[in-house]
Amino acid sequence: MMRVSEIGDCLDLTVCSPGDQAREIGGVVSGDLLSFIMAEAREGWMWITIQVHLNVAAVAVLKDVPFILIASGRKPEKELVDRCLSEGITLACTRLSAFEAAGRLWEAGLGRPS
Amino acid sequence: MGQEPYVEEYTIQAGDFTAIGEASTKFRATLKMLGIPSEVVRRAAVVAYEAEMNAMIHAGGGTIRMTVAPDHLEILASDQGPGIPDVALAMQEGYSTASDEIRELGFGAGMGLPNIERNSDGMNIETEVGVGTVLTARINFPGQ
Repeated sequence: MMRVSEIGDCLDLTVCSPGDQAREIGGVVSGDLLSFIMAEAREGWMWITIQVHLNVAAVAVLKDVPFILIASGRKPEKELVDRCLSEGITLACTRLSAFEAAGRLWEAGLGRPS
Repeated sequence: MGQEPYVEEYTIQAGDFTAIGEASTKFRATLKMLGIPSEVVRRAAVVAYEAEMNAMIHAGGGTIRMTVAPDHLEILASDQGPGIPDVALAMQEGYSTASDEIRELGFGAGMGLPNIERNSDGMNIETEVGVGTVLTARINFPGQ
């Protein structure tokens, strides 16, 4: 488990919506197909994606995903930022690819059996 | 909750892709307010979201209704879209007739109906080509 704030320390992040920085994150799911995330995401996980539109927030809300990371230098649309702010979801961007971001988080121990 | 089932219904407007998930989010809020177990709420959210998405992408909108009874809930999505010519094929994971434009946004993964089936305790599809589709999914509450 890692706190949202600790994840910020291991990635090069631009935070668009702070959400709950003290929230514990238990795992990570990566993908850009919304139905795949609906199927695979678990409560309290982080989601790495390159999708930047409003529906990303809908999926996060419905699946209790508290942290969305937009990878590969993409920028979220304003509607997505606004919705994350109002829902208290952490939304951040990174220049890293989904692969690199996941690699760093794995190295830091996130999602690995302790 | 009394004996009368609680019913909530929304219209899924054609063409407004950003609105996908609105009804599901409202259903979720209602279920939480009613004190329904969170695992049931999450399953219902998946079912409702996928049903909304299907109605929007394939049928130009429709209606979605959630009925909450003491021991189960039911989600019913109906549309007057083109119907599903081959339900078995539509149930196959990865099969989708969505356009490239839709897929680029992450919709149309070909996982909608399988997701609905996996998250419900009973799913039924009544469909007629050129007339429309009615999808019903039931989720039992734990211990029932």
